[in-house]
Parts: sequence; structure tokens; C-alpha cells
Amino acid sequence: MAQSPALPAEQYNYDIVRKFTIMAIVWAVLGMSVGVYIASELAWPFLNFDIPQITFGRLRPVHTTLVIFGFGGSALFATAYYVVQRTCQARLAFPWLAEFTFWGWTGGVALGVITYMMGITQGREYAEFEWPLDLAIAVVWVSYIVIYVETIRRRSQPHIYVANWFYLAFLLAVALLHIFNNLAVPVSLTKSYSLFSGVQDAMTQWWYGHNAVGFFLTAAFLGMMYYFVPKQAGRPVYSYRLSIIHFWALIFLYMWAGGHHLHWTALPDWVSTLAATFSILLLMPSWGGMINGIMTLSGAWDKLRSDPIMLFLITSLSFYGMSTFEGPLMSLKSVNALSHYTDWTIGHVHSGALGWVALVTFGSFYHLIPRLWDTKMYSQTLIYVHFWLATIGIVLYISSMWVAGIGQGLMLRSFDDYGNLAYTFIETVEFMHTPYAWRALGGAFFVSGALVMVYNVVMTLWAARREQAGEAKLVAKQLAKA
Amino acid sequence: MFDWLSWFTSMENSKPLALVLFFGAFCGVLIYVFADKRRAQRLESYKYIPLDDEEPQRPGPHDYAHDNSRARIETQSRKVMDNE
Amino acid sequence: MKHEQIETNSALMLVLILAVISIGGLVEVVPLFYINETVEKVDGVRPYTPLELRGRDVYIREGCYLCHSQMIRPFRDEWLRYGHYSLAAESQYDHPFQWGSKRTGPDLARVGGKYSNQWHVQHLTAPRSVVPQSIMPNYPWLIQTDLDYSDVADRMRALRMTGVPYSLTQAEYDANVKKFGQTVADQLDISQAQDNLLKQARDKDFDGISSRVTEMDALVAYLQVLGTMVDFSKYNEDEFVKFR
Repeated sequence: MAQSPALPAEQYNYDIVRKFTIMAIVWAVLGMSVGVYIASELAWPFLNFDIPQITFGRLRPVHTTLVIFGFGGSALFATAYYVVQRTCQARLAFPWLAEFTFWGWTGGVALGVITYMMGITQGREYAEFEWPLDLAIAVVWVSYIVIYVETIRRRSQPHIYVANWFYLAFLLAVALLHIFNNLAVPVSLTKSYSLFSGVQDAMTQWWYGHNAVGFFLTAAFLGMMYYFVPKQAGRPVYSYRLSIIHFWALIFLYMWAGGHHLHWTALPDWVSTLAATFSILLLMPSWGGMINGIMTLSGAWDKLRSDPIMLFLITSLSFYGMSTFEGPLMSLKSVNALSHYTDWTIGHVHSGALGWVALVTFGSFYHLIPRLWDTKMYSQTLIYVHFWLATIGIVLYISSMWVAGIGQGLMLRSFDDYGNLAYTFIETVEFMHTPYAWRALGGAFFVSGALVMVYNVVMTLWAARREQAGEAKLVAKQLAKA
Repeated sequence: MFDWLSWFTSMENSKPLALVLFFGAFCGVLIYVFADKRRAQRLESYKYIPLDDEEPQRPGPHDYAHDNSRARIETQSRKVMDNE
Repeated sequence: MKHEQIETNSALMLVLILAVISIGGLVEVVPLFYINETVEKVDGVRPYTPLELRGRDVYIREGCYLCHSQMIRPFRDEWLRYGHYSLAAESQYDHPFQWGSKRTGPDLARVGGKYSNQWHVQHLTAPRSVVPQSIMPNYPWLIQTDLDYSDVADRMRALRMTGVPYSLTQAEYDANVKKFGQTVADQLDISQAQDNLLKQARDKDFDGISSRVTEMDALVAYLQVLGTMVDFSKYNEDEFVKFR
């Protein structure tokens, strides 16, 4: 770590924030590269190379875990630890425990992806960690909660700021989801069977799966938004009252929506109807939040022209608005009949994950990094370059997935004049080759943007270290004179 | 006279009932948050919290030499407990 | 109560958040465990034999569920393509469920019996040799790797703890005889697990190599049983509609 001689006196614990920030960027590049690779495997299957560890089925959880828990998780640790200190004006509680959460989380993610490649998995989407890792993660998570809550309790600011509410809801919800969804009976260190079966297991899993999106990838990143957008804009959030409504409505409604992942399945109809209803309702708080974020800039729209970081943040909110409109649409049973099981879902997830989660994180990091290392970003131009590479990548990705998903959905349900199926399944697979290739290209654009960020950050840190070494000399000289 | 109560005991009616309850609660929150002007002013004042912590207390290398940054931090960080 | 009280009291905030996020899950998930109609009563659905179980483990290990669903929806095109829509009862012994969420490849809920063992072996080893446009990875190691069946009894014991009726005691065995008949009850007897596994692999010889029990044997045994347990000709067409 680049530490200037002045930093030991710093008011806040930035060291832990720096560590998580760096790891988040590392995981981002790794996870997204794996994503591009498995996307290419679907377009050109020879890339599986008959090597068990890198076949699609084993690498796909590696991709999802690296980007969701590696990149997303580390970004949330970093920003949560930063935001809670800044808005409570208190130093982070239990520094040794915070250090433990860093090594625990980083080690957990690393071990997780290695074990997936070895074929050790629970076989539950986004919860593939086997039970020993689940236990370890639960311990890390509880430590995270303890640190966070205790820091809030030590605040010098009487009010708990909105961003912290979202982080709190995320911490609690993820703990609940993780524990209940991973209840299992172990056979050995590397194998367990989930406690529930069939329809109950499915509902538990998608209650988890949907709220992993709702709380991990939405609520927590909204916490990030509520701090970094006002900070970067230099003006307070549009409406504090709207944020109260936004918060309570969002955390209440999200928990009901999981069943929409199981429309038309053996899940009883009452659950999926209920889930669809609440998914539609969810549009309101989601858009409330989006409006709150975007309108923060009202009266200062010119910042979009002069500030690439603002561009990241506002674009991320636009993608958030778009995917939270698409989500309720896809949760309608009639639409879902077409979209379910197709790449439309994959495209939808990525418009949220790349458009919202990744862009808001990149924007926040560009704001955060100069402050953490007490310096300036190496290049503003490169931030613009990153922004455009990422945006082109997202647009390519989601439009190719619309083509693949809606196209396949329509082909599968079309009949000829005699009432026979018009297409065999494999004909739809053939059709999807072209969009799959475009999707891989879109992913490659996105990764190259992330690599530009890595270069920019490395140069920034390098310059900061040189500069601070120079200042140290200066201070020494002054002291010698006095 | 109290026959209508049995409406609540039937499982089929739980959905409209829940809907009315939740919607009522939602409207209550809306009215609470948006109706009163003074409350509005008070609530909106909290949105400046993240902007209050701006940089001056961050010790730069230069004021480390004459050591007043540390004093400033100490006076500033007063511990506040819940419900103060 | 003022909202400020929540905003200035971390404990109150924690409690309220917990309450608000618990409601949805409680209402939607919990009833599924005690509403009887959630899982239909049908004849024929039985737990997997030891060999099928090990095949299922291989299926999960290779991440097949990421591209293949096992849940047929009640639409005409799916009926024509895959068969009768899936019942909740058919996955009642599936720990974890493998309904899947994406069909990069076709649904497998009723793949059992549709193709010969030989076809499956060829297709799993080199999919493009039978379906030229396929994008499925080759799985040549399945037939090269001997199946590790040493811990199959442990696996069944773990599943027994989750409620799958694999039998350890005489009473449990008798109950299984009553429920599933003698032949199936024997297969569910944990003390005979290894013998049963070997016997099924040798008798059926799924992989065409009679001298060895490979992972291919297990996986094909599993695929061939999928969706075959319920005899739909015994039921009226609208028998299952009321459960939806």
C-alpha cells in the first residue's frame, strides 16, 4: 500500500477500503474474462477443449461467483466500510475483524471457484459453494454485520444516513437468505444434499436467487448510489422523503417476487400469481429510486458534459430504470411463457449487472480512488474511454440476447399449417450462433473497458506513491530546519 | 350480527385482505412523509449529511508539520449514542 | 412515531428491517411445506436406485442444470416436444431440485427411454458426432473414469436424513415394501447399496463396457429413468389440473 507519512493520523480506516477496492477490480477483470470465455464456448464449442475443469458447466458458476461475490461483494465491502465511516463520522469498529472479513471473503471466493472447477458444487444456481465454504462465509458475513452495526453505534452524527439503511437491509437479508437456502445434510467435506426437495427446494432457491439480485445487487448498490451520486454531484440527493418511501417499499416488495422465476412450473399457481403481482408493484419503488438518483443532478445537467464519473453514475441509473422495467414485464405470466428458459433472461440479468451494478461501481471507484490514496486520477480521458467501451459492450450484449432469446422463444412455439412443430430444438440452437458471437464481442468490449480502468488505476497509484515519497522528503526537511 | 367476521377466517379472502392492509399501510406512509410541510422541511434537512464531512479535516502533509490537524479531529469526533 | 426515531436508533432500525423483509418469505415459502396439495399423490414415483443416484451426482458435478431444464410447462409446443408437463411429485425426492432456469439445450425431464443407451454414450462422449449443430461440450472422461461408489451408502444415509425413504431398519424396509413393492424396496435398502449398484450396472451395462462400472454407466442410468416413473396412461387428462 502506498502510505504517506501523514496517513497514520488519518481519521478513518481507509486501509481496509483500499484492499477491498483493489480486490474488487482484480475480481472484475477475472470474472468478466471468464464470462467472455464461456460466452465464446457457446458460440464455438471447441473451446471446451475436452478439459473437464474448463467446460461450460463448471466455468459458468466460476463466472457468476467471481462477478457477483468477488467483484460485487468486494465493491460492497469497500464502499460500505467507506460510506459508514464518512456518514457517521466515526472510525470503523474492530479493525482486526475488518481485516478478517477481507481475508475471509477473498479466500472464500478464491476457494469457491477452484472447487467449482474440480466439480464440487451444491448444484444450486448462485449458491454453488459447498457447505464448509458456506459456513465460512456465514462467519465472515456475521463479522461484517457486527463491524457495520457497531460503527453506526459509534457515530458522531445523530442521524443514520439513507445509504446506511440500504446497506443494513442488504446485510440482514443476505444473512437470512444465505443461511436458509444452504441448509443441507453433508455426506463428506465435498458433498452435501440440500435439506429440501423438489418444489419446496425450488421455491427456497428462487426466494434466495431473486433476493440475491434484490438485496445484493440492488439494495446495496442503491446504498452506494445514495452516497456517491450526491457526493460526486456536490449537491444533496433530490428528495429525502422519496428515499424513505423508496427504501421501505423496496425491501418489503422484493421478498415477494422470487416465485416469478418459477412461472408455469409445478409450483402452485397461487405463489406464482402472488409473485407476479408483487413484481409489478416493484416497478414503483425501483423507479422512485432511479428518479431520486437522476434528479439529484437537476439544475446541474452540464456536469454530464464535463464529468465522466457523473456519466458513469447517471448511465448506471438509466440502465437500472430500464432493467427494472424489463423485469416486471418479464414476470407477467404471458411474457414469461416466451422469455423463460431463453437468453432473454440472460440479457436482462446483464443489463442489470453490467449496466447498473458494474457502471455504478466503476463510477464510485473513480470517485473513491483519488480520495483513498490522496491524489488525482491519472487520466480523465481514459475514464471516458472506459465509459464508451463499457456502454458499447452493454448495448451489443443485451441486443444480441434479445435477438437470441425472443427469436428462440418464437421459433419454439411456432407451428406449421398442419399443427406440427415448425422447428426442432437444434434448429433454434443453430439460429442462436450469430447472436452468441455478437454477445461474446460485447463482453470483450466490456472487459477491455475494465482493463483500461486497471491501467488508469495502476498509473494513479504509482504517481501517488512517487508524489508522497517526495512530500515525505519535504516534511523531513522542514522538521530538520525547525 | 358478527357473521361478517367469518369472512376473515376463510383462506380465500386472505389475498384481498392482505392487499388492503398493505396498501393502507403504504398510503399511511405516503401521507406521513409528504403531507406535513414542517415535517417535510425537517426530513429534507437530513439529506446534507454526506456533504457535511468534506475534506478540511483531512490532514495534508503540510499541516502535519505544525500539528493542529490532530486537535481538530479530536474536537470534531464526539461520540453520539442511539436516541440522543 | 416519527421516522426520525428510526433514523436515530440503530437497534430499532435493525428490528424493523428484519420484520419488513421477513413477511414476503414467510407468506410464500412456508405454506408450501404444509399445504398438502402442493405435491400431488401419484403412483410410481420412487427414490433413485444407488446407481441412478450416483449418476445424478455426476449430472450435478458437471453443471448440466445450467443448460438443461427438467421442468416441462403446460404448453402445446412443450407437450409435443417433451411430453406431459412435469408434476411436483416427480421431483419430490430431488435434493436439490434440478428444474433449471435455462434451455441452452433441450429439456430433460422426460428424456428417459427416448434414446438408446448406445446413443447416449456416443452423444455424451462426442455430441457433434450425432447432432452436428450441437454446442454441448464433449464429455469423454465419463467413460474413461471408473465410478467411485465406495461412499454410496453414506450418500443414501445423508438423503435419508432429509426425508428420502432409503431404509436402514427392518421397519423402514417393510414400509417401503408396502409403499413401493418388493423390487423397489430392495433397491432402497442402504445395507445392499453397493451390491445393488454393481448389479444394476452389470445387468443393464449402460456404457457397453461390461468389465467396468464407469461414470457413464451411472449418468446414463440416471438419464434413462428421468420422467419414466409416472404412467400417465393411468390418469385422466385433467387429473392434475387442480393442483396448479
